[in-house]
Amino acid sequence: MPTRIRRSLRSKPMRWAAIALCAALAAGSGRAPGAELDVPTPYVPSTRLNVDEMLRLAAVGPQDVVYDLGSGDGRVVIAAARDYGARGVGLDIDAALVRESRENARRAGVGDRTEFRQEDLLTANIREASVVTLYLLPTLVRRLQEKLFADLKPGTRIVAHEYGFPDWKPDRKIVISKTFYLYTVPGRVAGSWRLETSAGNRPRAYDIAFGQHYQEIKGAARVTGGILPAFEARLAGEHIAFVLMDEDMTYRYEGRVQGERMDGIVRWGYGPHLNEAAWHATRIGVGAQG
Amino acid sequence: MMSGARFPAMIALLVLAFPVSAELDVPYVPTPQVVVDEMLRVARVGPQDFVMDLGSGDGRILIDAARKFGAHGVGVELDDALLAQSIENAQAAGVDDRVQFRKEDLFKADLSPATVITMYLVPRVNERLRPRLLTLKPGTRIVSHDFDLQDWRPDEKHTIRKNVFLWIVPAQVAGRWHARLALPGGALNVDFELKQHFQELDGVARADERIIPLWEMQISGERVRFVMVDGRDREHEASLYFEGRVHGDVMEGEIRRGVGKAETRLPWRAARSPL
Repeated sequence: MPTRIRRSLRSKPMRWAAIALCAALAAGSGRAPGAELDVPTPYVPSTRLNVDEMLRLAAVGPQDVVYDLGSGDGRVVIAAARDYGARGVGLDIDAALVRESRENARRAGVGDRTEFRQEDLLTANIREASVVTLYLLPTLVRRLQEKLFADLKPGTRIVAHEYGFPDWKPDRKIVISKTFYLYTVPGRVAGSWRLETSAGNRPRAYDIAFGQHYQEIKGAARVTGGILPAFEARLAGEHIAFVLMDEDMTYRYEGRVQGERMDGIVRWGYGPHLNEAAWHATRIGVGAQG
Repeated sequence: MMSGARFPAMIALLVLAFPVSAELDVPYVPTPQVVVDEMLRVARVGPQDFVMDLGSGDGRILIDAARKFGAHGVGVELDDALLAQSIENAQAAGVDDRVQFRKEDLFKADLSPATVITMYLVPRVNERLRPRLLTLKPGTRIVSHDFDLQDWRPDEKHTIRKNVFLWIVPAQVAGRWHARLALPGGALNVDFELKQHFQELDGVARADERIIPLWEMQISGERVRFVMVDGRDREHEASLYFEGRVHGDVMEGEIRRGVGKAETRLPWRAARSPL
């Protein structure tokens, strides 16, 4: 059994590395001479229904800052401000559409809570967004994938209409006349961590390593005499959860990833016999996402 | 315990290769303690539950369901020695007032009182049981260790060393349902035509000679959800989010329409009509 676990754990980072390599090659080939960079994005407005579906899927609320990439006549940003009370920013390469959007926002009475800028989506500063909406052609969506993952804060929601990211599994996909994809920007857990806790009423420390491909994570903790796989490992924004089974007891870890630290609660036992303790981890090695 | 984990699969293969009489279909392989706990956690067993364990062995699942989660239940087992042992184990655990063990064939036992079914059987037995499981009260939870129910997809799958599957028995909604929806922009008479494959639904609405697709259809126990676009005119075009409960030949609940601050809620009710 231990042999089998170790072998399967080893094979996964390799496969992920292969996926990363393919993605890098694909991205590289995109920059090779070809029509791709020159394909203009046509202006096809979303219908009122599509706009509603996007904002609903992202669960937009008054505390959100919604960035619409390729904002056209501003309808998504205006709806976010008018119907959901959010603040909105629209970016579009077309100066005439940007001017029209400002006028539309003013007429909808949300001129003070919206902003429209003529900008290149690939270089724009979008870091303050808590929600990003996209309705773009696949080539541009593909090229934005890495930028959005790199630039946006963990927990930021991304909704893509019609075309989703090629290599990032959506958290949800819904089909209501059209297809919509929801992504949540994950925290960075790839690498190795020193985890300390007093779960099970004695001090415990593990070196735990995580591999990561966007929100998909796999992990294993090193203990004397072998490895404990991290079962049911999940990452949603900066919230992480996994299960370690040590000495035939199941420990459920839940916590938050914030930069070089994770903090949370570990629970064990069942029903009325549920126990909990605090845990924390500090990063001891950085890993690249696979 | 860990090395034992592989035995059920091997034994299952042996059983499949050499079918014997129905009584001896399922080998006795005790479920490891951590898996017992996981099954009961996944099924969200609580004090209000009545758990039936099919092939209860030495009684460990039910005894834990009673001792750790406060449930009541019945175990069904054919082996006399195991039955005697489970009764003894239940007494030792102080839960013999809340659990019972019966010598019964699991294909014949009355499963209708169960709110939760637990089982650790072999694929061929699961397959034979499946039609009976589908007729249980909507909302009944079924947990199985190791083996699934083929094309009845589990509602949840958990893997902590071993696989534990959860199914929630869906209400039967296939057929034609009539509703009169009091919508802004005028009442709409619709017939929903629903197809069902376990908890997977598919369907359309017919209204005024038009066919309207239904989206994102889901059923969990007696709770049903779907989305219909009311596109009668551009001004009033909106997604209608239906949520409701199925009680026999009636479905009723609430429709959410509109977004954000402008969201409104309307009641809806549909009755099954004979085809």
